[in-house]
Amino acid sequence: MKLGAFTTGKWAGWPALCLVAAATALAFGGLIGFNRSEFDWSYFSDPYFLAILRFTLLQATLSAVLSVALAWPMALALSYLKDSTHKRAFLSLCVLCFVMPTLIVITGIISLLGRSGSLSPLLGDDWNLYGLSGILIAHIYLNLPFAVRTLYLRLQSIPDASWRLARQLKFTRAQRFWRLEWAAAHSATWLLLGFIFVICFNSFAVVLALGGGPKATTLEVAIYQALKYDFNISEALALAWVQLLIAGSAFLLVSFCGKVSWLSPASAPAQLRPPATGLEQLAYRLLYLCGWLFLLAPLLALTPRVVHGDVGIEFWRSLSRPLLVTLGLGVVSTVLSISLAYSALRPYRRARMQQSPAALWLDWLTSHSLAVPAMVLSVGLFVLLLPHLDLDHWGIWLVAVINGLITVPFAASQLKPALLNFDSQYHRLALSLKLTSWERRRIEWSYMAPAIRTAAAFVGMLAMGDVAIYSIFGNQDFVTLPWLIYGYASTYRLNEASLASMVFLGVCGLLIFYLEKQSPRHA
Amino acid sequence: MYNLFHHTASVSRAARTLIAVSVATFAASASAAEELTVYTYDSFVSEWGPGPALEKSFEATCQCDLKFVALEDGVSILNRLRIEGKNAKADVVLGLDTGLIEETRKEGLVQPHSVAFDALTPVLKWSDKDFVPFDYGYFSFIYDSQKIKQPAQSLQELVNSSASVIYQDPRTSTPGQGMMMWMKSAYGDQAEQAWKQLAQHTVTVTKGWWEAYSMFLEGDADYVLSYSTSPAYHQVAEDKSQYKAALFSEGHVMQVEVAAIAANSEKKELANRFLEFLISQEAQEVIPVTNWMLPVRKGVKLPEAFDTLIQPKPIELTPEYIAANRKAWIKEWRGAVAQ
Repeated sequence: MKLGAFTTGKWAGWPALCLVAAATALAFGGLIGFNRSEFDWSYFSDPYFLAILRFTLLQATLSAVLSVALAWPMALALSYLKDSTHKRAFLSLCVLCFVMPTLIVITGIISLLGRSGSLSPLLGDDWNLYGLSGILIAHIYLNLPFAVRTLYLRLQSIPDASWRLARQLKFTRAQRFWRLEWAAAHSATWLLLGFIFVICFNSFAVVLALGGGPKATTLEVAIYQALKYDFNISEALALAWVQLLIAGSAFLLVSFCGKVSWLSPASAPAQLRPPATGLEQLAYRLLYLCGWLFLLAPLLALTPRVVHGDVGIEFWRSLSRPLLVTLGLGVVSTVLSISLAYSALRPYRRARMQQSPAALWLDWLTSHSLAVPAMVLSVGLFVLLLPHLDLDHWGIWLVAVINGLITVPFAASQLKPALLNFDSQYHRLALSLKLTSWERRRIEWSYMAPAIRTAAAFVGMLAMGDVAIYSIFGNQDFVTLPWLIYGYASTYRLNEASLASMVFLGVCGLLIFYLEKQSPRHA
Repeated sequence: MYNLFHHTASVSRAARTLIAVSVATFAASASAAEELTVYTYDSFVSEWGPGPALEKSFEATCQCDLKFVALEDGVSILNRLRIEGKNAKADVVLGLDTGLIEETRKEGLVQPHSVAFDALTPVLKWSDKDFVPFDYGYFSFIYDSQKIKQPAQSLQELVNSSASVIYQDPRTSTPGQGMMMWMKSAYGDQAEQAWKQLAQHTVTVTKGWWEAYSMFLEGDADYVLSYSTSPAYHQVAEDKSQYKAALFSEGHVMQVEVAAIAANSEKKELANRFLEFLISQEAQEVIPVTNWMLPVRKGVKLPEAFDTLIQPKPIELTPEYIAANRKAWIKEWRGAVAQ
């Protein structure tokens, strides 16, 4: 059965790679080719531009530093606690928090700390969630778990021999920290700082919903506003370039320094770690408890409003369509993303098997779009397509396709280790058994099924939670669940926002259940 | 959703045409009603806004299907028209105001109407060939007289005070834009400094009128930017008389809300009939008690609550002057408040 040169053989996977690269190239075409108005350099000395640039850098830096600083004690506490069901649940919750649609978290935080929030009375009269404080709280909530899990995995990787040595040399607690724990996790610390900085620099939904006006605007939101508030394309493009230069170079810098592995399942704890005693043990338990409270609070804050939320049948009916649209988007984006990633990895695998030096840049090409902020990609394509396409009609498809494209690196990072494993274990065997390419493909797929499921859950969640791309291409006929929640939250209809968030959370919970159920065969 | 999957991107042109024709035939046989699409802002079509009632009474006579598309606020309607360009689906745009007339006209987004203005109130001195007014009012700051015993007497006093204020974003909403004109006419070249001062005690700047007013009613601010007619709503609909508009000595910026036929519309005649209906006795009796603005028609009977409203002295700004300066004012505003 011949499937053509593009499915097997030398050129397999190249169309997918080209498609991923072409999307980026087209977006750049849009950014560069728009000449209706002269590029306005004076814009960069506009006090407004300088103010948002300053604020963007400020909030991203603070978010990164605070997330990592708070993650350290949490990770230490976890590493000293015995393995248990609730500890494993905590680590799964960390994954969920990182990929959970932002709007659910935002709604929870508003329910807790907003103006009529359940904790607001404790914070005094001057407390105002909206602005820098709200943005930082949301960013820490979304990124701290990721940092905790990453650092914890690094701490778990300290070999038993080191602990044995530490014991023989009678290290003090401080020495243990500096020589073992800090030594094991300091590189991850710097990486995390860089990563979280980039993530928060590109953050859109949080700033849009919790910024509270022009005082707390970031580049990402300013791009959207330039396009949708003023229809000032040249300004949107000028901002997009700045966003791309800063976020892109920060990302490249970070990715040259190393890789953060954080989704791998928690390994068995080191047996020889000296047990914490007395006060230290108590501190760890308290920290662990705080961690639980911190992660659960915004989610639990949704429940009272859900229980007492007095909404009619009409509301539930109005929820069904956005839910279906969101699921549909999720499915289309996920299928696209997984197939592109799977296919685009083929040239990389070939290069790896042939020990070719091309492997490195093929790998980079697959994941290059990580360095391009979603907003920049969207605005570039928007400007390019606007004269040629009825965006009202095709907008929703573009939302699905662009979400599929920008999640390719995530899908690839999930599939790659398993694929390389497969190649190293079965490639020669398959050759010696003279399997047809179709038979080989079937074996490969059955081997890959768990990794594909994990990647699909991960990518699906990211695509369903998207707000940035939707804000550019979406329209009223196809409102997605996150956008609906944003509408409710921004008009302070918290009951509706909470109910919609709960439904959304249920969908995501099912997905994460899949994600974590996988046997830790390869991560 | 069914549509979403039903539709594959690779349908050939011929098949698409065939589908379009069959769908159109089916739709036509299902209802012979012509569809009239109206872009407007969200509070106009909310369940207590004028939208539902107007739709009912217009559809009773027109044999058509009136379809409202709700956007955040007046300026968003203009932005939407610009973004959509030739693809705009609107037949009528409803909810722009005097501050946007000139820009909308210059960009060729509307076409002339043939509505007669004999019945309009002389206060407006209206003779525009492209735009039809449907209500008017004066921008005002609303406060709760149970909480505030000594309201500000002027805009300057409010800016210098420490009272918490909510207003709307001039890039998206017409009240925000009105605020900008107010500040310009009160402060002139000193406006930037005044904006910075106001930002010190601004709770938030919202996207549209609706958000700002809801927040104010939740008790989040001492003053909210709205209209001199807003207190009438609380008196008539809620029987509450504590909400009042502050009368400012500088005068108040007047807002006339307008509707027009979209440039792309092929239903010119029907759209024109809708505009005529907007200033008819029937519609003009509905709009003041649903949109809470003043009627543009002479001799419309209003609830007594309207007699208790403040009578501001109007600040007059010509549409040409606004159009020439709007962008610069917005730049000045955002530069000042983003600090």
